[in-house]
Amino acid sequence: MSEILSIEHLSKRFGENEVLKDINFQVRPGDVTSIIGASGSGKSTLLRCINLLESATSGKILFHGQNILSDHVNEAKYRAKVGMVFQSFNLFNNHTVLSNCMVGQIKVLKKPKEEAYDAALLYLDKVGMTSHINAKPHQLSGGQKQRVAIARALAMQPEILLFDEPTSALDPEMVGEVLDVMKALAKEGTTMLVVTHEMAFARDVSNHVVYMYDGKIEEEGEPKNLFSRPKSPQLKEFLSRFTSDTTRQDS
Amino acid sequence: MSISEMNFLQRMLYILEQYSGSLAKGAATTMVIAIVCTALGCVIGFAVGIVQTLEPRKKDNIAYKIILKVIKLLLTAYVELFRGTPMMLQAAFIYYGASQVFGLNLGMWQAAILIVSINTGAYMAETVRGGILSVDIGQTEGAKAIGMNHFQTMLSVILPQALRNIMPQIGNNLIINIKDTCVLSIIGTVELFFTFKSISGALYTYFEAATVILIIYFILTFVSSRILLAWENRMDGPVNFDLATTDTLAFTSGMMRFPRKAKRRK
Repeated sequence: MSEILSIEHLSKRFGENEVLKDINFQVRPGDVTSIIGASGSGKSTLLRCINLLESATSGKILFHGQNILSDHVNEAKYRAKVGMVFQSFNLFNNHTVLSNCMVGQIKVLKKPKEEAYDAALLYLDKVGMTSHINAKPHQLSGGQKQRVAIARALAMQPEILLFDEPTSALDPEMVGEVLDVMKALAKEGTTMLVVTHEMAFARDVSNHVVYMYDGKIEEEGEPKNLFSRPKSPQLKEFLSRFTSDTTRQDS
Repeated sequence: MSISEMNFLQRMLYILEQYSGSLAKGAATTMVIAIVCTALGCVIGFAVGIVQTLEPRKKDNIAYKIILKVIKLLLTAYVELFRGTPMMLQAAFIYYGASQVFGLNLGMWQAAILIVSINTGAYMAETVRGGILSVDIGQTEGAKAIGMNHFQTMLSVILPQALRNIMPQIGNNLIINIKDTCVLSIIGTVELFFTFKSISGALYTYFEAATVILIIYFILTFVSSRILLAWENRMDGPVNFDLATTDTLAFTSGMMRFPRKAKRRK
């Protein structure tokens, strides 16, 4: 049982609408897994189910072998170990950059202030945002906000980091700065689960790619094989739409 | 010169001169009741508003769900009853009811503060609920995602933002309370309106007394609203921020040092 996270027969319905159908996959320590697929294929819902922001209808989510969907699991404690970076940043608007990165450590991990301060600065340095510690979120650009959000998640020292389309709300010129941070994290061996539309990231940085179509995992595997020899017709069509996009980013 | 020989302005000055003591006392009473009751009303409003926004989860046990439902029902009844009836009658009902049914003789202050706070609380409950709803759901999700429980999320993230958003409404309530304390004269609270009644009754100068006291009311509300506006601006914090640096050679205006022992890291 070396997996950090193991999803078994997970399904989720909103009323009559079944958005996730029998999802199965594993995440091992150090894995960088990209989840790709068209809009509405259930990628984000899957990630939100993993972080318990949505409650799954049936199935299991095993975290170190323990099913976190069972009744006696402390949701907050589990979430503290699973970092999440949102498409819309969700930085706390009433806190400065620095205290965004400290408040979780102090309130949830009960760390002393000095320790939280040091950790916050360490991770803000990692994303290149130390000079902006006194700024409020509304004074930052989108790319800066997302880097702070990554630092906030890292400051909790999570065992796995979930990214929900982290660059989708950004202007094209800011996508790069966030992806660079994510690449650096991947290189350091951070376990990451990334829902993304950045095919270049999925292909070059991740070591496992999951393609979702209509609430199911249609195909998964190593990025090399998946991108060069897609088996399912849906994935072929999906990738063909991105070809022009990826070549642009290659050059 | 007797009062009947004076002109309008002289009568007003005469009132100010003769009754400065009771006018000041009346104004002070009005302000104390208004401020204390708005503050207490906010506390009640926050408590009720927080409970009203609690949503039971699927896996919570049935007893908790039932208790929550009953409490919410009682709180809704409280809000509807106190918003839906005139405060003047509430004052009479509670003041005379307390002595007649429970044999409890409330003092002037106790009665006034009790009635106005409960009434303000009913309005504030809905205001706070609106304030909490006005904070983007992403803020809650961001807080939950780093492992905060409901209480921590509310206290560190949601309520400070909700409070900022409802500040204009709190100001509204304070100003309404300054004026509405006048209905307390029905139970004999000696506030500004009560002073008006005694002055006009003693001198038979209704127009002049009303003008003087209108002006005093206006000064009280206007100053309050300006102070609240300044407070709001302070809550928003500075428009600009300083960049932090550890490089002393690059230390220019618009820069600041790291607050504490950051040098070690460079």
